[in-house]
Amino acid sequence: MTEPLVKVDRLTKLFPVSRGMFRRPVDFIHAVDGVSFEIAPGESLGLVGESGCGKTTTGRLLVKLMEATSGQILMHDDGSMIDVAHIGSDDLRRFRRRVQMIFQDPYESMNPRRTVFDTVSEPLAVQNIGSLREREDRVAQMLQLVGLTPPNTFLFRYPHELSGGQRQRVAIARALVLDPSFVVADEPTSMLDVSIRISIMELMLELADAFDVSYLYITHDLAVARYMCDRIAVMYLGKIVELGDTEEVLSNPLHPYTRALLSAVPVPDPTYRKPPVEIKGGITKAINPPTECRFIERCPWATDVCHSTEHPPLEDKGGGHFVACHLVEKGAG
Amino acid sequence: MSAPPLLEVDHLVMNYVTEKGDVSAVEDVSFTLHQGEALGLVGESGCGKTSIAMSLLRLQAENAVFKSGEIRLNGENLLALPEDEMRRHRWKDIAMVFQGAMNAWNPVYRVGDQIREALDLHFRPRLSDAEATERISRLFEMVGLNPAMANRYPHEFSGGMRQRAVIAMALSCDPSIIIADEPTTALDVIVQDQILQELKKIQRELGMAIIYISHDIAVIAEVTDTIGIMYAGKLVELGPTVEVFARPKHPYAYLLLSSTPSVTGPRRKLAPLEGEPPNLLNPPTGCRFHPRCPFATERCSIEEPPMETIADGHRVACWNWREVPVSIAQEARP
Repeated sequence: MTEPLVKVDRLTKLFPVSRGMFRRPVDFIHAVDGVSFEIAPGESLGLVGESGCGKTTTGRLLVKLMEATSGQILMHDDGSMIDVAHIGSDDLRRFRRRVQMIFQDPYESMNPRRTVFDTVSEPLAVQNIGSLREREDRVAQMLQLVGLTPPNTFLFRYPHELSGGQRQRVAIARALVLDPSFVVADEPTSMLDVSIRISIMELMLELADAFDVSYLYITHDLAVARYMCDRIAVMYLGKIVELGDTEEVLSNPLHPYTRALLSAVPVPDPTYRKPPVEIKGGITKAINPPTECRFIERCPWATDVCHSTEHPPLEDKGGGHFVACHLVEKGAG
Repeated sequence: MSAPPLLEVDHLVMNYVTEKGDVSAVEDVSFTLHQGEALGLVGESGCGKTSIAMSLLRLQAENAVFKSGEIRLNGENLLALPEDEMRRHRWKDIAMVFQGAMNAWNPVYRVGDQIREALDLHFRPRLSDAEATERISRLFEMVGLNPAMANRYPHEFSGGMRQRAVIAMALSCDPSIIIADEPTTALDVIVQDQILQELKKIQRELGMAIIYISHDIAVIAEVTDTIGIMYAGKLVELGPTVEVFARPKHPYAYLLLSSTPSVTGPRRKLAPLEGEPPNLLNPPTGCRFHPRCPFATERCSIEEPPMETIADGHRVACWNWREVPVSIAQEARP
């Protein structure tokens, strides 16, 4: 891999669980627990997992909507690496030019009292870029790019005058108006109907090429991740348990959790015979999790090693296929 | 299938009356359901699938008006029944697993007691305490819950367990038909899979008929024998699930299937559907899909296509179904 655009090292976020107003919190939800990965320029990494696995928290930490408890996020910027945790206020503005976010719910992420022009031009205003005239041109150009055409019929509309798909197009225009190099997209299509979903996914793929932008694409849907991402990382209870090239992970899943997840995904082919899902139960809460493997309670293959050692490290099992499991041999990837 | 159908929906037309005018929510929909059959109704939000489900139980919204058509259960038109007779059928003949029903449990009563309430309303003669407890235990076992959980309160159940309990409740009065409206939509994939497998098993064992309603075409592929595809209040294609997935004939069905990503098979280019569904206050003339249809001809904007039988049990409402490619696009993504 060339010089990474984003380098995440042992990122951790703990949320204290309060047991009473005057008591010091003693219990912590380990939302994100020692997560490390890299994203190359122009690459799109999918972060998949079930609700509560920490994928959204990871995304929010990366765009600095939340502060990490520990760990490091380094972001490449004009030849130097910025340490996201220790950005000063001047650098923060510069950071926001490089890094943007697209949210899940286009009904909640837009101010209902502001027009499309206000919403899309706001980042330009905050960054003091261009005159009003230039901003108008830039916004019109963005609307054209995201398929809201002709732009002048959309510029002064309010969110309630737009459909869900159109709102998500506005959100994409807002995210890309500053020409960022990295965008965190948190389930950007999960609220949309199928027929709209694909056009938004296609749009994001096209724009990734046009703007040379990297995505961290957060989704619960492996089929969507397969379509959108070069590599995927599977999260379980705050840990990445498997990471690798999308097709490699989907065709050769090595972690028991990834395998279970894959066999549970419904397949749009009535003649397809699914392998049975081998794990039991639902996801547990990440409050003070055990130090041994996070997956141990649900794993049908857990051995003495799994019970007597700490959570296994995420190791390259061959060809850049990383797995955190004691039972997966080296060279299996 | 030569036996008379359990349920017949016959040219059903339903509008919602609003201040802005009538919304044409269900337009001339017909289908049948036989004993032991699993039928799926699939479509996007606003296509009328939930309106149909609610109509089957006569639980439609207050501003809904049935313009014409019949819903016949064992030959009896449900739409003509007085409310108190309808109440007898509800739950006992047709039960429903609502969208988000797992959040409908009353938090201050034990789950078993809430199921008992349904039993008391519908079982004649009334079950004794011992019989009811026994029955609830069996229902819990059937849906994969520990019978001891019947004495617990809803907050002690996880989302998946609550949804299982809803299914147990739906089964409580031995209905011949269950309507499952997005039964797993709010659940994570592994729990979704467990519940779908459970429903499939129960349906097979009890010989029940199920109508699944979902926006998720992959879920429908997994659990149904017959699929009906809805668009803008119309049923546009109806046929054996395997056949419709292999050779969709309606352009909307074709495009919907071509735009569904999958974790299996070759990674193919997905074809986006242009445009958005119409406003049903003022639906398009002719075929409701024609403004978005790549196969549309002049006739489509003028004349409404009738449901045409193109093979045994396979019906399509499209003037140009012969133009639709034989199978969905397999072109690899560049």
